[in-house]
This record gives sequence, structure tokens and C-alpha cells, in this order.
Amino acid sequence: MITFENVGMRYGMGAEVLRDVSFSLDRGSFHFLVGPSGAGKTTLLKLLYLAHRPSRGLINFFGRDLMTMEREALPRMRRRIGVVFQDFRLFEHMSAFENVALPLRIQGAKKAQVADHVEELLCWVGLEDRMHARPATLSGGEKQRVAIARAIINKPDLLVADEPTGNVDPEMSRRLMHLFVALNKEGTTTVVATHDEGLVQSIGAPILKLSKGDLEHVPGGTPIDPGA
Amino acid sequence: MSMWGRTLQFLPKQHQREGLLPWVIGVMLFLCTLALASGLALGKGIERWSAGLSTNLTVQIVVEDEARRAKQTEDALTLLRATPGITSAYVQAEADVLELLSPWLGDVPFDAGLPLPTLIDVSLSSPDAVHIDGLKERLAAAAPGAQLDDHQEWMSQVLHLASAVQLVLAGIVVMVVLSTVAIVIFGCRAGLATHRESIEIMHLMGAEDAMISKAFDERYMAHGLKGGLVGVLLAAGTLYLINYLAGEMGQGLITATIPDNANLSWLALLPLFSALITMITARITVRRALAQMM
Repeated sequence: MITFENVGMRYGMGAEVLRDVSFSLDRGSFHFLVGPSGAGKTTLLKLLYLAHRPSRGLINFFGRDLMTMEREALPRMRRRIGVVFQDFRLFEHMSAFENVALPLRIQGAKKAQVADHVEELLCWVGLEDRMHARPATLSGGEKQRVAIARAIINKPDLLVADEPTGNVDPEMSRRLMHLFVALNKEGTTTVVATHDEGLVQSIGAPILKLSKGDLEHVPGGTPIDPGA
Repeated sequence: MSMWGRTLQFLPKQHQREGLLPWVIGVMLFLCTLALASGLALGKGIERWSAGLSTNLTVQIVVEDEARRAKQTEDALTLLRATPGITSAYVQAEADVLELLSPWLGDVPFDAGLPLPTLIDVSLSSPDAVHIDGLKERLAAAAPGAQLDDHQEWMSQVLHLASAVQLVLAGIVVMVVLSTVAIVIFGCRAGLATHRESIEIMHLMGAEDAMISKAFDERYMAHGLKGGLVGVLLAAGTLYLINYLAGEMGQGLITATIPDNANLSWLALLPLFSALITMITARITVRRALAQMM
């Protein structure tokens, strides 16, 4: 579904932060992206959620070559990708409901349809009582669940999460991972970047390991907590 | 407009830095309106003077001897009244001539014995009713002391001055409009920098540039409309005050150039113009900036 071939990335005239990165993500796969700070995880994620084009190499997204894709085609492509950030990036002046509704509004969904889907999803992530709360009044875990709901409301083909458990306590981390695994089981290709080795071991999914811009593939192990 | 309106308004209601923008636009519109109103009023004033003077001639009989002056005046009047295209010709009373000269000579007694020319006021049916050069020749033959003044020399000087003033006022209007556009561009760029993260999120969620720019268009159109209303209301008040003060002065060269309240209804269109200019400027600025993003 998504293929990277010998992808290199540099910012301006600086050194390459990614070198000859090659991998592919099959439909419905689950991968962790790990590596120390400065290894290039964020850059790789930005390529995955189409925030940047690479400096060299080939990237194929859903059968289309990113390098030759015209800018006007990007919005349609991005609607197939959900993104979750460590710092949530919610719109502070909007309620949880309005934040989650945004991707549907962007697609031009009808008001009634939006209301049904958003309410259903917020219930699914356990925020039925916090629908009309502003982000400032939500806890870290609640904000991240709103961010996840916003990322998946469109039923994306690819879900990319950048340190989604970085700002929440261990119990909330475990619960959020439950959500990611559940989504993956429904067929969403998922990539989660994390520093949390315990979390990685608990799922036992294959790992994309970045070190100083080089990528290493580590096959999946046995999950510690298969129910997660 | 709410999030559920036609525009997907993802920007917060008002950013502090944008609060002053409508007021700055208001000041610009105030200056623009005053310059426009003055320029247009000056144009109307020139039209009025031209229309008044182009159907009016003055004949002076400059002869020292009183008897000869009376004879030449009579001959000139006979010629003028017989000329087709002249609707009236009459001799101005000596008292009226003294009144015309009073700004320069002061109050001169009627019987002071000053050698005054005889003035004949001539009215034409239309500006082109009489061939001036031909009339001058016929007058010279009938009354050698007669001098015909069709006011053209004086008028052309005044018209040149008025045209120069109009040009300066038009320049001021253009500069004010360009300054307003520049202010809106700076405001937009500041707005884009402030909301950069929100714009990135919108892009990542699949929003198109047009969708994002529409939120800015709407915001800046409101600023332009608000600023336009403030500026035009202030300008209308100022023009009303000037008109009131001019009314106290009576009619004359200066009061002819004061905008007439009755002709200022076009001012109502300026806030819409301001809204349109700010919206178009914001749209172009934002679209260009968005096109630089991935």
C-alpha cells in the first residue's frame, strides 16, 4: 500500500537526516517506529503523513508516486491518512465535538451525518460526557482521545501516531494502545512512533528502528499482552 | 459565521494583533473619502463657474470724455442688441461698478469724480451663440473705445489650477488605497504566522487552499467593512461640518468647491469598496503564502 525506496531527506543544505530508507507497509499492518531522539523519526513520520516531499528516492502512496504528484492532488490523498500528535494539536477555541467533526466538515459531510458519526466515535473513545468541553478543560488522556477520534473519524487507510502516549500516564498509555490495536484490527494500517519499549514489547508488532538516519527492520515478537 | 456556516471558520474569533486593523483601515478610508469628496466637489465647482461665465461677456467703454463715452455706449448697445445669439445687454449702474471696485478702492463716494469705465453686461443664449472675434471687430468699428472680455484668460488659469489640485487629490486617493492594501498584506502575513500551526493541521486533514483562504477572506472582509463604516461616518460628519461652516460664509469661489451634502450619497458605497479591496488583498496574499506550503 505504501512503499519507500532509497528515500533520502535533508533540510535545506544540511546533512541528510534520512539515508536510503526502504520499507513497505502492507494494508492492515501495524508497525512501531522507534529510535533515539534525533534519529529522524519525526522526519519519517512527516513523509508518511505528506507534510514533506523527500529530497530523493521513491515513495508510492496508494499506487501513486509522491515525487511526481501535483500539489492539488495532496488534499485528497491526505484525507486517507489520520495523524495523532504527541502535543494533540487540537483547536483550543473549539469543543471536543467540533475538533473531531473537522475532517468530516472538510470533506463536505452533511450536518446530521457529522453529528451521528462524531457522537458515536466520542462514545467509543469514552468521552460521551465531554463532547462539548473545550480542550483547555480536558486532561492529557482525554485530549489524546479527542485527537485520536479526530484522526480516525474519516476511517483512514493509514493512521500515523507520533509519540501518542508521551504526555499521558502509564495507565492511559495502555488504554490508548488498546484503541490503536482495535483500529488496526478493523483494517487500518497503523504506524506508531514511540520511545516506550514496554509498550512495544506488549504489542509484539514489527519495528522500524531508526538510528542516525538509517533504518533497520526488526520482525515482530510475541506480544506480552495479546489482549492489548 | 459559525463552524457550520458555508465557510469552515477554523480561526479563533479575534486575535489581539488584528484588533487595530479595522481602525487603521477606518483612518485610511476617512482620508480617502475627504480627498475624493473634495476632488469631485472641485470638479462640480469648475463646471458651475464655466457654465456661468461662458454665456456671459463684459464690454468696457474706456473713453475719458463723458459725451463721447455716452455716444459709444449707445452705439455698442445698439450693435449688441441687434446681434443674433445675444439675449440681453445692459449698462451696469455706476453704483454697482463702485461696489465691484470697493475691495481695492474702499468706500468711494458716488460723486468723487473718479474716471470709471462704462460696463455693459452681455448674456448669450449659449456658449457658442456668438463668434467672439467677429463681434470684437464689429464693436471696434462701432465704438472704438470698447473692449470685449469673454473671461477666457482668467478661466483658463483657474481651470489649470483646479486641474492640478484635482490631480493632487487623485494622487492622495491612490496613495491611501495602496497604503491600505499594504497594511492588509502585512496584517495577513502576521495572521498567517500566528495561525501557521492551525493551517498546517487543516492541510494535514485534507483541507484545500481555497477552503483555508476563505476563512481569511471572510475575516478580512469584515475588517474592511467595519473600518470602511468608521472612516466614512467620520468623513461624512466632517463634510457636514464643513458644509455648515461654508453655508455661514455665503457663495463664492471657496464655497463653490465645498462638497454638497445632497451629492454625497455615493459615500455609502465606500465601506463596500473597502470590504472588497481588503477581501481581494487577503485572498491573494493568503493563496500565495499557502502555495509555498507543501
